[in-house]
Amino acid sequence: MIVDEARGTFFEEAQELLRQMEQILLAFEIGTQNEEEVNELFRAAHTIKGSAGLFRFEEIVSFTHVVESVLDRLRSGALEADDGLLGLLLESGDHIGTLVAAAASDSPLVEAVQALGNALVARLEAFLPRPAETPLAGEFLPEPEPALAVSGGGPLGGADTWHLSLRFGADVLRMGMDPLAFIRYLTTLGDIVHIETLCDALPPIEDFDPEACHLGFELDLRSAASRQEIEAVFEFVQDDAQIRILPPHARVEDDIALIAELPEESSRLGEILVAGGALTRRELEQALRAQAQDAPERRLGEILTDAGAVHEQVVEAALDKQKRGEERRAAESRSVKVPADKLDRLIDLVGELVIAGAGTQLLANRSRLGELAESASQVNRLVEEVRDAALRLRMVQIGEVFNRFPRVVRDVSRELGKDIELKISGAETELDKSMVERLGDPLMHLMRNSMDHGLETAEERLARGKPARGTVGLAARHESGSIVIEVRDDGRGLDRERILRKAIEKGLVQESQSLEDGEVYQLILQPGFSTAEKVTNLSGRGVGMDVVKSSIEALRGSIEIQSQAGEGTCMRLTLPLTLAIIDGFLVGVGCARFVLPLEMVVECIELPAGDGAGDRDYLNLRGQVLPFLRLRELFEVPHPAPRRQNVVVVQYGGRQAGLAVDSLMGECQTVIKPLGVLFEKLRGISGSTVLASGEVGLILDVPQLIQLATAREGVQIGNAARQRVAQS
Amino acid sequence: MSLRIDTTPSGRRLHIESELTVATAAAVREEILTALPPGGTDEIEIDLSGVSEIDTAGLQLMLQLKRKCGARLRLVNHSPAVLQILDLSNLGAQFGDPVVICPHERSSVQS
Repeated sequence: MIVDEARGTFFEEAQELLRQMEQILLAFEIGTQNEEEVNELFRAAHTIKGSAGLFRFEEIVSFTHVVESVLDRLRSGALEADDGLLGLLLESGDHIGTLVAAAASDSPLVEAVQALGNALVARLEAFLPRPAETPLAGEFLPEPEPALAVSGGGPLGGADTWHLSLRFGADVLRMGMDPLAFIRYLTTLGDIVHIETLCDALPPIEDFDPEACHLGFELDLRSAASRQEIEAVFEFVQDDAQIRILPPHARVEDDIALIAELPEESSRLGEILVAGGALTRRELEQALRAQAQDAPERRLGEILTDAGAVHEQVVEAALDKQKRGEERRAAESRSVKVPADKLDRLIDLVGELVIAGAGTQLLANRSRLGELAESASQVNRLVEEVRDAALRLRMVQIGEVFNRFPRVVRDVSRELGKDIELKISGAETELDKSMVERLGDPLMHLMRNSMDHGLETAEERLARGKPARGTVGLAARHESGSIVIEVRDDGRGLDRERILRKAIEKGLVQESQSLEDGEVYQLILQPGFSTAEKVTNLSGRGVGMDVVKSSIEALRGSIEIQSQAGEGTCMRLTLPLTLAIIDGFLVGVGCARFVLPLEMVVECIELPAGDGAGDRDYLNLRGQVLPFLRLRELFEVPHPAPRRQNVVVVQYGGRQAGLAVDSLMGECQTVIKPLGVLFEKLRGISGSTVLASGEVGLILDVPQLIQLATAREGVQIGNAARQRVAQS
Repeated sequence: MSLRIDTTPSGRRLHIESELTVATAAAVREEILTALPPGGTDEIEIDLSGVSEIDTAGLQLMLQLKRKCGARLRLVNHSPAVLQILDLSNLGAQFGDPVVICPHERSSVQS
């Protein structure tokens, strides 16, 4: 079980690291390359290989090894990160991802994947110094010798050479300890490559205490011993001597690696260094004392580096580790992983609570007991807050979806041979998790469509006086209870005439019909519609846009298309923030109750007395023509109309319409219950809800109603015009 | 008495005939200082063949002697213990004296 868990962690971690590598590689392509990131790249590959080795995923190990070797050369500066190499590395990262996924599902590798792997290895090896032997699957590869970082440090540091700096206290001799004896003992740990005895501190023979020690030693010890072992030699004189142990360069690498691999993030720099073996406990204590006594404002890292105990790089690595640990701890303490079904259950319950609370409020109000009503309204207020908080639990940043696009844009721009820049904004905009999951595919399609059809080739762009590099934008923002996502390009724009021609050809519209630009553009969302002159493997087959439309509509959203010939196209998706609960506005028609989403309600007006509008379905709202629908007629409510009626003005997607109703009943919170399959085709109704009184209310599909109202208005105006023509 | 002094044609030869450690350093120093009053110009050879043992204190003493007397002072007949410690501390060059090193005495620490 434990092994399974650990394996699970490996898969997660590997995917995480691969994402990280991808991001870095993409950043490199834009030209923001720095040394630290190259190192990070290398470490990521290294960690994946190492962890994969633990679980004996040999395919991952052998492939990643080759990648790692190339990255190592990149790191040491032997290779230039040109586009070819970066592309290859990206592909290799994908391949590792495939291998990891295969390992995760315990499925054997398909032949095609193996072939791809071999091809990649062959290409990667072209970047390696000599034709390296193709690693055999199943063979555990030795660690490559890590390249030595050129850096300051011990004066004579070889790969394995420690530098020891010894200053003994004056009293060591009197205490029966002979410094030279320690040095002699050191030879049992390794070879003293060089020793310098410092006698500068020696006073003249006349006035000196022969029993005091005045000598110091600087020596280089070639030894495979650990820092602790070396320090242990001086255990007995530690208190009376200054002993500095400078690790060999190779150890610096090791220390950094060790620190990076420390399992538990200690919060303190010193602890990290000690745990990583770069520092002994005693050295740490000494430095801490120094810090406390002499220089409380100095940082421990500085003191350690100055004292020569630790290489600066090691301190940096440890600081980095410390920072990450803090970040992770902070992130851990900030977030709890909860299974989605538990969350859904909570939201369901909160929904029921909202209804029950509203019921109580209603009863309390009727009871005419002031205190009861007051307490009920307080409970209700809290329930509302609970509802908001519960809904927020499901909110995630849309960046989760946006993040995959830099790579998509890169790949597509390669494929199409266009230079494309991606601009993302509003990635922090939050929306319901279930929406985020379902937005990925539609957005992908819109993006590809923009890049493929929207953007011109570089030559065309230059010819039109535009910059050669095309831009696609992905933006999200909140707008009055909805989230608006825009996919924008600065390409050629939609060709109104061609779309119209195509639509007439296909019989989607009549030649005589006059359509607004927006309506023409909407045609491209029709099934089987494609104006592309050539079909690429990205888009242009006429499937897709209609699928985009239906998946957005399934989310209770809509698509609006704006375009300017030669300037670009903008596809605007408007989506509700959540699918579960809405703030509603309750209206009554006869004994039927309808709920309108509150954020779509603009105002309520009285229907002119005596139905002054006559049979017309539009009225004059402050000089504007406002089409309206009589819900009584639309839903065929049997009750006769009362004397006074009201009109609720609703707005969606920039268009307004009125809905004539009998009574206005105020705001209410509404938990949306989907309609059964039977009612799916019902027009004008998007769902149902249980009202506080226990009655069933129908939730109106405002966008559809507005569309209906404006369409009718058009027909009516048309009719009126015809009548006038006939009369004249 | 750990010091025996012979007179040679060119000066004097001091035989140190005891261990040269922290235990004896103070005494040896007194004797040497007595034997080498300030201002002397004659050549001095120190015969180390009798030094059965030497430690840091002894090494310091020899360094100081050398510093005090400079080129007047020569160390001769190093005992194995002395050779070893010169080797270990890499101070042979400081004294600049010809040293006879037998292969089997050569410690492994010399670079």
